Amino acid sequence: MMTYFRSSAAMALALTAVSFAAAAGEVEINPPPAPADWAKLAKLPDWSGVWTPKISDQNRRIQADPTPWKPEVAVQVAQMEAAEKAGNPRGLFIDCLPEAMPSWMLITHNAMELLFTPGRVTILGESDGNRLRRIYTDGRGHPADPDPTFHGHSIGHWQKDTLVVDTIGVLPQAFVAVSEAVGVPNNGDLHIIERIHLTDPDTLQDDLEIIATRILSRPWKTSRIYFRQRARKYDIVEGVCLQGSFSERVDKDGNSIFVPMPLSEGNPVPVGASGQH
Amino acid sequence: MTFEFKMKRCVLGLALFAIGSTLASAHHSFAMFDFSKQVTIHGTVKEFQWTNPHVVLWVNVPEKPGEPAATWSLELTSPGNLTRTGWTRHAFAAGDEVIVQLNPLRNGNHGGALVKATQVKTGVVFNTNLRDMERPGLK
Repeated sequence: MMTYFRSSAAMALALTAVSFAAAAGEVEINPPPAPADWAKLAKLPDWSGVWTPKISDQNRRIQADPTPWKPEVAVQVAQMEAAEKAGNPRGLFIDCLPEAMPSWMLITHNAMELLFTPGRVTILGESDGNRLRRIYTDGRGHPADPDPTFHGHSIGHWQKDTLVVDTIGVLPQAFVAVSEAVGVPNNGDLHIIERIHLTDPDTLQDDLEIIATRILSRPWKTSRIYFRQRARKYDIVEGVCLQGSFSERVDKDGNSIFVPMPLSEGNPVPVGASGQH
Repeated sequence: MTFEFKMKRCVLGLALFAIGSTLASAHHSFAMFDFSKQVTIHGTVKEFQWTNPHVVLWVNVPEKPGEPAATWSLELTSPGNLTRTGWTRHAFAAGDEVIVQLNPLRNGNHGGALVKATQVKTGVVFNTNLRDMERPGLK
């Protein structure tokens, strides 16, 4: 198990060194794609369509594939699980900030699509407009000191038909979550390695190795499964998470506005006249 | 479980019954519901909110012997997921008579996860079950 950690750390170090060299003097340019670059995309496996998660498998893995929490973290997790059973779950994502990495991959109930363009794989989610991952496949390394973000800095390369992705630079506040009610912030130094590949013509699997040394006692290997949909009704639709906290109303000047919803019995309740549908 | 934010701006010209100054959140965990129980309510739609992260149907249920009138808050999944199971944003509107089957809130408040809703005037039944959709090539 320590060898996984050593080799992963070594990989991250080597990739950072590449970007150090480039930063030495020149301005780095993203070159315009040549026809050959577009042709290369046609040789990649077909990941077109919309991918819907296997939610029952996410739930199954909570028991079958337990997260190796550190003992002091396991205490917090046990408290969250107890609160959930008692019907008072802690809502980790009720503030509508992005689920972020790795939780988006781990717990989403919503569809996603993966787009191939020269030098990049882009993953777009649904339900929350901030679900966007850019995975650079143009051979660059990680920046030496990336600004921390919700989805981190991701670089990838193809090993035959498997996309191997390395992600660092995730905000320490981003949860490692196994449900919307159970999860712990990574607290910094999060490193995620993914191997994304088809397991059959219409099933995509993301094999994740989550290295979170501040909260996990060892790297956590787990997988998530997605099914391909081509029916047009599965086209990804826009989603703004915070929209659910507002009512559509009309102000005194006849303007269409969003009005924050107050709470009643702990739930948001619309007040005033019902808005347009 | 819910966050409270100080509202930084005034709400224009509307009377609100705000409880403190709270920005309510609609993004709860579905763990708040008891999936081993089902309750049926019959009432009138107060509002149908077709937004992310969860579509919400509010239903006014009239007073019954031993039970005061109440507004129930029923949660569903996202509009994207619901569209795929036959819902539209016009499925329900304020004033519609509706019968709802739901998994109730564990804490006993008036709310739950919507299982099935019947638009009484047309008889159309709207279901929700993401677990039925766990395979590729759905039509």
